[in-house]
Amino acid sequence: VPGRPRAILYARGIVPSAVEIKQRIEAAIPGAEADVQDTGGGDHFSATVTAGTFAGLSRIEQHRLVYDALGADVGAAIHALALKTQTPAAIQTP
Amino acid sequence: MSASQFDPIPMLSSEPPPAPAAAPSAAAPDGESNPIRAAIVEAIEEHKVILFMKGTPDAPACGFSARTVGMLQELEVPFAAVDILPDPRVRQELSALSNWPTIPQLFVDGELIGGCDIVTEMYESGELAQALL
Repeated sequence: VPGRPRAILYARGIVPSAVEIKQRIEAAIPGAEADVQDTGGGDHFSATVTAGTFAGLSRIEQHRLVYDALGADVGAAIHALALKTQTPAAIQTP
Repeated sequence: MSASQFDPIPMLSSEPPPAPAAAPSAAAPDGESNPIRAAIVEAIEEHKVILFMKGTPDAPACGFSARTVGMLQELEVPFAAVDILPDPRVRQELSALSNWPTIPQLFVDGELIGGCDIVTEMYESGELAQALL
């Protein structure tokens, strides 16, 4: 929602905060650690999610797990979510 | 809409919904009775590389779509593109079909490759070029 102060969006409960997004992802994916940043406008976010459960899953499947954690908000209240998923083992390699 | 690589899909391009679609109305749940879903399926089957995006390759209407188009053009692969914006039912049906909530969505050989983030990772690692061969 361009031009609308994010405080109003939060107050109305329309857009979850970065902290809430992080909590929802971590609650839904066992062992996951999510680093979520508000990248602007109050409804654009980026998230890096690290979870052992991602091992053996394709990127599509990994991203779907995160999208599922956020439900219908993705693409709606969460207008954009730049997403990177990885396993703990993958962190060492750039 | 005139880019040589932009291959408009007749059912899915630029025609606004015939009825005033204020609220995307209840679409039929499944393919047979659902012409939009059927047209999407057909488009995916008929094009080796097809991108569902906001706007057109010439005039992308979203940064994520623009970046995805840029990577495909960089690799010089021909691709079909569908602008999901004119008719909200296209996006609704596409996401229901692909089980993927965001746009853009890139399909290769009938399979969802991913959105901008996955395409970017694959572009950078060289996997995208491989997948598009």
